[in-house]
Amino acid sequence: NFSERCRAEGSPAPGPVPKDQVRLYSMRFCPFAQRTRLVLHAKGIKFETINIHLKQKPDWFLEKNPDGLVPVIETPAGEVVNESVITSVFLDEVYPEKKLLPATPFGKAQQKMMLEHFSKITPQLFKISSARRKGDDVSGLEAELKEKFTSLNEYLVKRKTKFFGGDTITFIDYMMWPFFERLGMFEVQHCLDHTPELKKWTELMLEDPAVKATMHSTENHKTFYNNFLDGKPDFDYGL
Amino acid sequence: AMATEKCFAKGSPAPGPVPKGRLRLYSMRFCPFAQRTRLVLNAKGIKYDTINIDLQEKPEWFLEKNPLGLVPALETSAGEIIYESPITCEYLDEVYPEKKLLPSSPFGKAQQRMLLEHFSKVIPYFYKIPSARRNGEDVSNQEIELKEKFAKLNEHLEKKTTKFFEGDTITMIDYMMWPFFERIEVLELKHCLDHTPELKKWTERMLEDPAVKITMFNMDTYKAFYKSVAEGKPDYDLGL
Repeated sequence: NFSERCRAEGSPAPGPVPKDQVRLYSMRFCPFAQRTRLVLHAKGIKFETINIHLKQKPDWFLEKNPDGLVPVIETPAGEVVNESVITSVFLDEVYPEKKLLPATPFGKAQQKMMLEHFSKITPQLFKISSARRKGDDVSGLEAELKEKFTSLNEYLVKRKTKFFGGDTITFIDYMMWPFFERLGMFEVQHCLDHTPELKKWTELMLEDPAVKATMHSTENHKTFYNNFLDGKPDFDYGL
Repeated sequence: AMATEKCFAKGSPAPGPVPKGRLRLYSMRFCPFAQRTRLVLNAKGIKYDTINIDLQEKPEWFLEKNPLGLVPALETSAGEIIYESPITCEYLDEVYPEKKLLPSSPFGKAQQRMLLEHFSKVIPYFYKIPSARRNGEDVSNQEIELKEKFAKLNEHLEKKTTKFFEGDTITMIDYMMWPFFERIEVLELKHCLDHTPELKKWTERMLEDPAVKITMFNMDTYKAFYKSVAEGKPDYDLGL
């Protein structure tokens, strides 16, 4: 069984990926890697994880993925896929059980369009947090974030569904979740105060088995994130 | 209604529903992102009608259909709207089975998507550098960065030894990248290809492709269009 401790520069290269599973290169607190982990758990895919020391990346990791980022999926055939969304779509296409993307081309397009909208929210979260650290006034940024949350809320109200793609969790819910899990860490939880359907969605997501298997508490997220912002990330925090 | 290439602006009458068996493309003749969708439509022989949009005075009926008001956007006879150039292109390849542009294997598709993600980091240079130059700024550092990015693309072609990015025939990624290379001369960035011979040869092969020939414009037309943009009044109907 693989240790969860992250592997750094100088560590020996891992062997090939065993035939009956896939390998995920990850970092325990990375929201982007959590997307891929959610998909792996939700679909019941057999996988092993190698966590990477993101400040002292092993050479063997950079050979597989010159971008040096996580998440990365490696198959037994040695195929390497990176980028959180690309790995997630790849897994949904390769493993037919518990499809997360709709079957129709338009259904898939709708999920991709929603993701595109959502991708404008993530940088705002990091901006607010970094501005607050500097002691800047974040009220303007928070107002913008609240507007985006209002749009998401309106979407749920219009569709009358519990989740963003229907009454069961689909791809888009998992792509969005890691950032909502970290709202406490970003200190913007209050931005959900006037978006009751969106709040309800977060409560429903917290009951999902894949979310439960991959999440951290707000406290743990906060500790990790503060160390990270201080330039002293502890990728193995909690182990 | 008579087909026109002239763009529709605020106050224009809404077009009717999309007829069964046809697809409608909302576009702008000189938009490189919309050209991606046009390349795919033409390459796959899909029957479609175009409505060009005045991007500075967007019609209200267009914003009702597509709140972000972006082109390219597709509308089906069922009233479904699809926007964002890569999303429109993947949608078309999935709905219309002839002349598949994406590979059938999940890994092949992933490879195309990873290349597109890399290329999306190159695109800003096609805007940043001309804009900085117009402001009289020094662009030498940015040009060095762009040349490095082109060198990586060149390396990819060298390693694969194929005529196009993912094989000896054109696939989706070639069409997704092409519109920016089509504009490279008018954007005064052609010299950034000086030390990337495989990439240069790729551009020459792309120029022979039928879909490229149908959708492209020449240097003079682009020059005139970009001049109108720089003057603050883009002439979307230039040449009509």
